[in-house]
Amino acid sequence: MDFIPTTEKDRNEMLKQIGVNSIDDLVKEFKPAFTRKLNLPEPMSEFELIQHMQMLSKKNIILKYFLGAGSYNHYIPSAVNHLLMRGEFSTGYTPYQAEISQGTLQAMYEFQSFICLLTGMDVANASLYDGASALSEAVLLSSSYNRRNHIFVNEGLHPQYFEVLKTYCNAADLELTNEIDDKTSCVIAQNPDFFGNIENLRYLAERAHKVGALFVICVVEPTSLAILKAPGDHGADIVVGEGQSFGIPINFGGPYLGFMAVRDFLLKKIPGRVCGMTTDNKGNKGFVLTFQAREQHIRRERATSNITTNQGLMALASTIYLALMGRNGLNTVAKLSYGRAHLLQEKLVGAGFEALNKKPFYNEFVVRAPKSSKKITSSLFKKGILGGLELGDDKMLICCTEMNTVQDIESFVSVIGEVS
Amino acid sequence: MKLIFEYEEQTTGYLSDENISIGLPNELIRNELPLPNVSEIEVIRHYTNLSKKNFGVDLGFYPLGSCTMKYNPKINEDVAALEGFRNLHPLSKENCIQGSLQLMWELEQYLKEITGMDTFSLQPAAGAQGELLGLMIAKVYFKQKNKKRAKVIIPDSAHGTNPATAAMCKYETIVIPSDIRGNIDLQKFKQSLNDEIAVVMLTNPNTLGLFEENILEVCDLAHNNGTLMYCDGANMNALLGITRPGDQGFDMIHLNLHKSFSTPHGGGGPGAGVLGVKSFLSDYLPLPRIIKQNNKYIFDNTKEKSVGKIRSFYGNFGMLVRACSYIMSWGSNIRKVSEHAVLNANYLLSLLKEVYDLPYNRKCAHEFVISSEKFGEKSALNIAKRLLDYGFHPPTIYFPLIVQEALMIEPTETESKETLDRFAFVLRSIAHELRENPQVVNGAPYTTPVGRLDEITAARKPNLRWAPPK
Repeated sequence: MDFIPTTEKDRNEMLKQIGVNSIDDLVKEFKPAFTRKLNLPEPMSEFELIQHMQMLSKKNIILKYFLGAGSYNHYIPSAVNHLLMRGEFSTGYTPYQAEISQGTLQAMYEFQSFICLLTGMDVANASLYDGASALSEAVLLSSSYNRRNHIFVNEGLHPQYFEVLKTYCNAADLELTNEIDDKTSCVIAQNPDFFGNIENLRYLAERAHKVGALFVICVVEPTSLAILKAPGDHGADIVVGEGQSFGIPINFGGPYLGFMAVRDFLLKKIPGRVCGMTTDNKGNKGFVLTFQAREQHIRRERATSNITTNQGLMALASTIYLALMGRNGLNTVAKLSYGRAHLLQEKLVGAGFEALNKKPFYNEFVVRAPKSSKKITSSLFKKGILGGLELGDDKMLICCTEMNTVQDIESFVSVIGEVS
Repeated sequence: MKLIFEYEEQTTGYLSDENISIGLPNELIRNELPLPNVSEIEVIRHYTNLSKKNFGVDLGFYPLGSCTMKYNPKINEDVAALEGFRNLHPLSKENCIQGSLQLMWELEQYLKEITGMDTFSLQPAAGAQGELLGLMIAKVYFKQKNKKRAKVIIPDSAHGTNPATAAMCKYETIVIPSDIRGNIDLQKFKQSLNDEIAVVMLTNPNTLGLFEENILEVCDLAHNNGTLMYCDGANMNALLGITRPGDQGFDMIHLNLHKSFSTPHGGGGPGAGVLGVKSFLSDYLPLPRIIKQNNKYIFDNTKEKSVGKIRSFYGNFGMLVRACSYIMSWGSNIRKVSEHAVLNANYLLSLLKEVYDLPYNRKCAHEFVISSEKFGEKSALNIAKRLLDYGFHPPTIYFPLIVQEALMIEPTETESKETLDRFAFVLRSIAHELRENPQVVNGAPYTTPVGRLDEITAARKPNLRWAPPK
C-alpha cells in the first residue's frame, strides 16, 4: 500500500520550486547516508496484510477467562466502539486549540467528573498510562508535596504494580520501607487487594495522617466502586487506579487507562492534563486545558512528572461506557461480578477446595486446590477455560465478571470433579 | 451543550433480572452512586454531537509541528480489532499467545533494522515514558559501574519533556545553546563535557527541523568522555531508510509509534514510546523480554541487570499491532515516506519564506520553523486562531522556545500538493491581513463552535468537574 498522493508531475514542480534537482539533494546532509535498501518484508496490499494478520491473530487461543489479576474481561457495549472510531475523536491530538477541540475537552471534563464521583475525591486528571504507572506518579507527587522519601506499601499490592513502583522509586531516589514513621511520604493500599480482599482502610489512613504522610488507595478493579464505599470515604488523599474495566478490551495488556484523583489541597500538584470549564469571549460555556504553564514549560527542570501524551482515547472509551451503563447498569455489572464469584467459590468449596480469603471479597478470591493446580488448569484448558492464576503449587487466584455465566461456572466445577 | 450528568432520568438497557444480594458489612459499602441514567440513543447523540466540535486528520490539514499528524490508515483499526488480538488475556499461558508474541518479536526486528539499534523494548506507553526508561537505564548502568554521573546535557531547542525526564531521575540538566546554523554549539558542548555527564539527549532532526550537521563528531566526543548518547526519536519521520540513528552513534532511541508509524493520536493518546538500545545496554531493558527459540516465542525473565518494569504487562499492545501493520504495508519501500515528508516540508517552506522570517536559512528536514515576529507580539497566536477560520489546524506555536513568535510546521508526506498550495495561499493572505487590517486577525476565530476562551479564569477559579446539586 502507498499513502502518498503526490504525482510525478507534482514532484517535478515541487522540486523546481524548491530549486533542487532531486529529493536526494534535499537529504544529502543526513549523515551517515544509509545506502542499501532496508531489509524489511515486501510491501503488502491491504488484502495481503489483513490475511497475514488474521493468520497471526488465529495463532492466539482465546479461552473463557476466570482470570483477572489486573485485566478484567467485562462486556463492552457495541456503541462504545462505534463512537470511538469516529475520526473526529480518534485522529485529533492533545486539544491545544480549544476552539476546535470542544468535543474532546468536554468528554475529558466528564471523565474527570465520573472519576471523582466513583472515587469520592475532589479532582481528577485526564488520564495516565495505566494503573501501575499511575501509582508510581502518585508516589512522586507525594514526595514532591511533603519532601519525604520513604514509601510504605501495605500487603496485597498487585505484584506487577510493585515492580513498576520499585523501578520509579529507584530512579527518583525513593525508598520502599516497612515502617510508618516521620520519614514516610505516603502509605499505599490496594482495595480490593490483589487476592480480592476488601477491608475498611480507615485505620491505615489514620496511621498515615498521624505521622504527616499521605494516604494513597489503588483501585485495580474499578467496577467494584459501584457497590463499595468510595476510597475518599476511607480517608484517601490520592486515589489512583486502572480504568480498563470500564469499556476497554483486555487486549493482551494494553492500551489501558491510568487514572488519578486527589483532594483539593493537592490540585496544583496533579500530573498530566487537566481540563477546566470556562467561558469564551461572548460569554458562552467552554472547556480548556488548564494549569498548562506548569512542568513542561516554566518549571521543566524541577518537574516531578514528564507525562504529556496520555491515554486520551481510552479515557473517552471509559466515559462513553460509564454513560451507557449509567448508575443502574454499572450496579448490575458489579452485582453480577460479585454474585458469580461467590457462587463459584461456594461450589469449589463444595468440591473440596479450601477458601483462603479471611476477609470479604468482591469478584476475585484465592483457593487452595485439593489436587495439583497445574493438573486442574490443564484439564480446564481442554474445555476451553482459563481457570485462574496459579499462585505456587496448590493455590489459585480466581476471578468472575458478568461474562462468566452460570453454565460456565457449572462446567468449571464439573471439570474439577473429573480431575484425578 | 449540556453535560452527560444534566440529562433527566431515563430507562437504560444494561440490566439483569437476576436477584443478587450483596452480603457485605455496612462499613464496606456505599450508600449512593451518583451517576446519571441516560438511554442509549441519547448517549449516542451526545457523543456524536460532541465529536462534531472536534478537528482531526480525517477532517483536514493538521500541520502540528513535531507531532507528525499523518493519515492513519483505516485498515490498521480493523487489524487491531481482530478477535484474536483484542480478546486475549495478558496472563494467558505461552502456548495461547504465540500470535501476539510473534507480532511483537517481528516488530522489534523491523524497528532494529530501521533505526540501526540492537534491541528494543516495546513496554513504554508514550515517548515521555520511553525517555524516562532511557534515563533509568543510564542511571542503573553507571551505578553498576560505580560511576557517579549526575548531569545530563540537553540543547536549548529540546522538547520540554527532556529536562522534565531528567528531573524525574534526579539528574541535573546542563543546557547548551544552538549555534547560528541551528546545530548544537560545538564549542560550548566540548566545554561542558566532563566526567559528571551521564547522558546527552538530542533530538535529530532537532526541533528546528534541522539535521544536526555535527552529529558524528558530537557522538564521538561524548563516547570518548564515557557519556551515553540518547536520541529523542520524535522526528524519525524524516529519516526512514535515509540514515539510521544507530549508525550516527546514538546508544539509545525512543520512537513515538503514534508519530512516524501512524497510530491514531486519539485526542491525546494512547501512544507507544518503544525504546531501542545498542547491545551493551540490552540487558538493562525491562522484563519480560521476548525471545524466539525453536520457532516458539517465549518470555525471558532472567536478565539480572534489568531496570525492572515500567508499566504492567507488555506495553500498549493495540498500538504495536497498528504500527506493525503500517510498517508491513510499506515494507522495504518505507524510505518513500521520509522522502516525501522532506519534500513536502521544503516545498511549503519555499512558498512561505518570502512572507515570514526564516531564522535559520537552510534546507529543512520533515518540518520547519518560521517566525512572525515582524508582525508584532502575539502574532503567532493570532495567526493560529485565524487559520481556524480557514479550516486548518494551526502549526505548533511558541516552540521551540529559542525562536520568537515561532510557527513550527510539519506537513507530513500524506498531504497533496494541492493542500500545501492552499495552506501557503492562506498563510500569505493572513500576512496580508496583518499588514492591512490586523484587527481581523487579532479577533479570530469567527467560525468555530466557541470563540477564544478565558484561560486565566480557568486557572484562577478552577472548575474541573461536575458535582451533584446539594
